[in-house]
Amino acid sequence: MCRKNRSSDDDTIVAIITPPGEGGIAAVRLAGRHSRYYLKKFFVHTRESVPLKPFVMHYGSFVSAAGETIDEITAVYMPKGKSYTGLEQVEVFCHGGRQIVRLILQELVNAGARPAEPGEFTRLAFLNGNIDLAKAEAVAEIIAADTEHSYQASREHLLGAYSRHIEQLREDLVNVAAEVEAGIDFGEEEIELAPGIKLKQMIDHLIDRVKELADSYRGGRIIREGFKVVIGGRANAGKSSLFNLLLRQERALVNPFPGTTRDYLSEWIDLEGFAVNLIDTAGLRTGGGTVEKAGRAHAHRLIRDSDLLVWMIDLSRKNYRVNLQKDLPALPKCPILLVGNKIDLLLKNRKQFKINIEGVMPLSCTTGRGIGLLKKELVRRIEANMPDITSGLVVTSLRHKQKLHMALRNLKQARTKVAYSESLELAAFDLRQAISALDEITGRIYTEEVLGKIFSRFCVGK
Amino acid sequence: MMEQAAKTYKANRPRLNLSDYDIIVVGGGHAGVEAALAVVRMGRSAAIVTMDAGKLALMSCNPAIGGIGKSQLVKEIDALGGLMAQAIDATGIQFRRLNLSRGPAVWSTRAQADRIAYTDYIAEFCSRQKNLDVIEALGGEILTENDRVAGIRTEKGKIISSRAVVVATGTFLGGLIHIGAKKTKAGRMGEPAAYKLSDSLRSLGFELGRLKTGTPPRLNGETIDWSRCEVQLGEVPIPFFSHSSPGREFDQTPCHLTCTSSRTKEIISENFHRSPIFSGQIKSTGPRYCPSIEDKFYRFADKPRHQIFLEPEGNGTNEIYPNGFATGLPEEVQKAAIRTVIGLEEVELTKLGYAIEYDYCPAYQVGPSLETRRLRGLFFAGQINGTSGYEEAGAQGLMAGINAVLYINKEEPFVLDRSEAYTGVMIDDLVTRSTTEPYRMFTSRAEYRLALREDNARDRLFGHAVRLGLINKESFDRFYRLQAETQKEIALLDETRVRISDLQEIKHRFKKRGTITLADLLKQPGIGVREILPLLAAHNGRFSNDREILERAAIRIRYQGYIDKQEREIEKFRKSEAESVPDSFDYRSLTGLKREAKEKFTRFRPRSLGQAGRIEGVTPGDVAVLSVHLRKYKALRS
Ligand SMILES: Cc1cc2nc3c(=O)[nH]c(=O)nc-3n(C[C@H](O)[C@H](O)[C@H](O)COP(=O)(O)OP(=O)(O)OC[C@H]3O[C@@H](n4cnc5c(N)ncnc54)[C@H](O)[C@@H]3O)c2cc1C
Ligand SMILES: Nc1nc2c(ncn2[C@@H]2O[C@H](COP(=O)(O)OP(=O)(O)OP(=O)(O)O)[C@@H](O)[C@H]2O)c(=O)[nH]1
Ligand SMILES: [Mg+2]
Repeated sequence: MCRKNRSSDDDTIVAIITPPGEGGIAAVRLAGRHSRYYLKKFFVHTRESVPLKPFVMHYGSFVSAAGETIDEITAVYMPKGKSYTGLEQVEVFCHGGRQIVRLILQELVNAGARPAEPGEFTRLAFLNGNIDLAKAEAVAEIIAADTEHSYQASREHLLGAYSRHIEQLREDLVNVAAEVEAGIDFGEEEIELAPGIKLKQMIDHLIDRVKELADSYRGGRIIREGFKVVIGGRANAGKSSLFNLLLRQERALVNPFPGTTRDYLSEWIDLEGFAVNLIDTAGLRTGGGTVEKAGRAHAHRLIRDSDLLVWMIDLSRKNYRVNLQKDLPALPKCPILLVGNKIDLLLKNRKQFKINIEGVMPLSCTTGRGIGLLKKELVRRIEANMPDITSGLVVTSLRHKQKLHMALRNLKQARTKVAYSESLELAAFDLRQAISALDEITGRIYTEEVLGKIFSRFCVGK
Repeated sequence: MMEQAAKTYKANRPRLNLSDYDIIVVGGGHAGVEAALAVVRMGRSAAIVTMDAGKLALMSCNPAIGGIGKSQLVKEIDALGGLMAQAIDATGIQFRRLNLSRGPAVWSTRAQADRIAYTDYIAEFCSRQKNLDVIEALGGEILTENDRVAGIRTEKGKIISSRAVVVATGTFLGGLIHIGAKKTKAGRMGEPAAYKLSDSLRSLGFELGRLKTGTPPRLNGETIDWSRCEVQLGEVPIPFFSHSSPGREFDQTPCHLTCTSSRTKEIISENFHRSPIFSGQIKSTGPRYCPSIEDKFYRFADKPRHQIFLEPEGNGTNEIYPNGFATGLPEEVQKAAIRTVIGLEEVELTKLGYAIEYDYCPAYQVGPSLETRRLRGLFFAGQINGTSGYEEAGAQGLMAGINAVLYINKEEPFVLDRSEAYTGVMIDDLVTRSTTEPYRMFTSRAEYRLALREDNARDRLFGHAVRLGLINKESFDRFYRLQAETQKEIALLDETRVRISDLQEIKHRFKKRGTITLADLLKQPGIGVREILPLLAAHNGRFSNDREILERAAIRIRYQGYIDKQEREIEKFRKSEAESVPDSFDYRSLTGLKREAKEKFTRFRPRSLGQAGRIEGVTPGDVAVLSVHLRKYKALRS
């Protein structure tokens, strides 16, 4: 009990339990002895003095310690022994703005609730004997390892299909390994082992499948974290203007001098139900101070990790085409949407409005012309990138993605070795590592299984 | 000869510590002998109480020591001062290494033994040990005093006292032999079974289970048509097992290889129903890796024929062991079937094949030191723990003997972990999972296989052996020099470059021209010491001309990268091994744990979180829950 940070049984823990980004509703969960106390502290019933009844939705407002109404909320109270965690528990549902949930969380923490550690609700549920372990395992292993988001129903379904898929992959991998292991432990017996070429093919096939799964991570991440759009372009192209236009609020600085935005700004918007993470970056410009340079390096990194780069072109500049030819090849690899900004100026100057570069979306941030089409195009791009949730072939956890990449590396190493009988034991080593990597996703014991396979497949033993 | 080997119980021996012996070993098989020898090596007195003193470490079945996965155990026994390797080196009639077409991590020595010479060698060796008596008697009861072992009572009623007892009774507990429908109580063909001791264990509260194994008929070599069989010769230079064998030169006896015919399959298939296994007469499980011939035809119905190895039982005999033809079929079927094997058309049987059922104690009842959890001072080793094989038995016997001494010395038990030794892998497997069939070692059971090799058994275990007083200082010093020279050689191989264009057949493997270090060359598949010897010759005198040192260097170079890669895993493994779970932990009261997991934990009582995770049927989720509770428990305690 001496270590700090250790949860004490007296703690009441709190966390946002809905995914980040704009959603219709966001939820905050409190669990622990004083959950009800905390709720009462901030909750003002619409109808006066209704007692908090278990499992009844109460409607009212959340009023901060300073006396401001933060949001209209509904709240539900679950008594000890009858909640997910098994402890006294309260869930508060507010409107989905990120700012709102954050404020609510902040108020509760200020009042003494402790922010939950990752996986803590699930751990409490284990400890209080509240969830069937088969399920808990999935929850613990997959969800709790990364985030505390519980988009229950659809996700559990997802998990089922997903782990079945991994299991299948693993099974096939174990089959190849059994073949190799049989060649080692029963190499002196008269057994028909698959020839090296065949093993190589089997491994190639596995490589493709693991790769496919690992690649699905992008889609998985989009589900979890939202679609990441980075607005890039030369300095003064109007990036921040677009950012603000999309946000419909003056959140970022708009300034006629180039180089205004040095750091990057990140916000969330809801585009037809999709959570979009919008990022405004520093303009691309040669020279500048070190701060600017650092900003640009960062922009490069952001672009690399984005799902879509909206590249702003200032059409009012004469040399925009030359610039574009210079800029594009230097960008990190990622999907790009070209937007030609400031068309209002072209029209004003009566220049003929014609863009000769194919696929550039015309826009004026000043007049708002073209913004509708741009949004449509964004939605189209997002939809095209959304994974097929029902197939279950989506890796949503970064940890899993890393394990899959590890498996992939090991498989690639095993690939050439299986061809030589003298390095079978090394191939077995690589295969085993690949299996371990998958095992860290699913959790299994390998040896017995491999022997089982060998005995069912080969007639061995003198 | 029986009388000659047997020593009588010396009643007038000075009674130190008020016990007749420090340690009694019941059963003079492969486990029992290693146990007793370890005890006397560590300066304690021991008695082997065994049924027939003329059959010490007799090979019940196959006249051979070693083989894939098993030879590694033999080398470990050797590195820990055991006798098995020296005994086979002195009495083997053919030696070779298996898996030479694979990498050196899985090279495995195997030797054909002269069964009788082997047991004579062991008996003679035991008779020379000052603190060791071999007592011919049947152990009938384990005696206790204040919840600790106090000795044994023989079936005839004699009490022999001791401070610890190692039970190593092999296939003899409740032994029942089956030949077709015929059943005989016996521990081996022609030898009585031990039923009283089973009862004693049961009344002490031990759970006993049944397992089964089988052996082929033996053949008269003079009635075999050798011309129809393929010859298998021994390897030269002879690959001996022990690091301390003086070596000897002799003509190795060949083995032969033949196979069953289509007629064999017909006869066996027609008689499936007469096999005690298929008729339901035997309910216990036999080993999948050592199936009877009827099992093979039954389970692999599409395989037309099976290989049979014809192995001599010794030099002074014409008896032949047909490896691959174990059977529990009735006599007339055995005879008819074996005569359909190519070359055996006229063969005469000297002994019948049989299946045997016996009692074992599921090994969750012992801890990693092989001491039983129920009774302090009582140790189990060998077949009684559900294993099969001389090497498996020997390694356990050695560990049980060492731990029995440590127990009476009130010292910490000696436990090898999975990253150190096959012995560690085996015992850990035994104590963390239920036996569903007799347990045999395979290299694939060892997750750190590349690091657990024949060639480095001493590197892995000599430190322990010296500390425990199992080997003498000279052996250690000699080995120390060997290690230093290996290191020197590795450095040389690392810095010496050769031209790729000089590399004959394998030069096409390299894209680049120019030169390559010998070390890098040795990492190529199929390149070993033999392949680089001609290249070394060009550096006259720089390299060692000791083949063993070169081999050791080459193997280390080959695996270093892999072993480094595994280091992190081993570290992780060791860390979770170090997270101890108190033996008294009450699993039933733990919330959040599913019932099966509670039962498993209660049954196996893991010593560490790592071991908990290896218990079969336990999921990572179970371990996560356990770890949370454990942390809570430890926090409350501190
Ligand atoms: C028919 C048969 C077939 C087998 N086939 C194989 C095989 O194919 N492959 C394989 O690897 N292994 C096989 N084995 C197993 C192998 O023989 C054993 O695993 C190995 O010998 C076990 O060694 P141990 O020291 O535990 O016991 P054992 O070698 O069986 O020795 C036990 C000793 O204890 C003595 N003893 C028993 N009870 C008492 C008592 N109450 N009092 C005094 N002395 C007692 C016995 O006389 C014997 O000397 C077979 C065994 C048999 C019998
Ligand atoms: N006429 C016109 N002016 C625009 C339009 N969009 C942006 N501007 C102006 O262009 C200037 C730069 O706009 P910002 O949005 O700050 O440009 P930026 O790309 O973010 O610039 P940096 O952050 O400095 O790289 C401002 O003066 C804006 O008012 C447009 O569509 N039409
Ligand atoms: Mg800007």
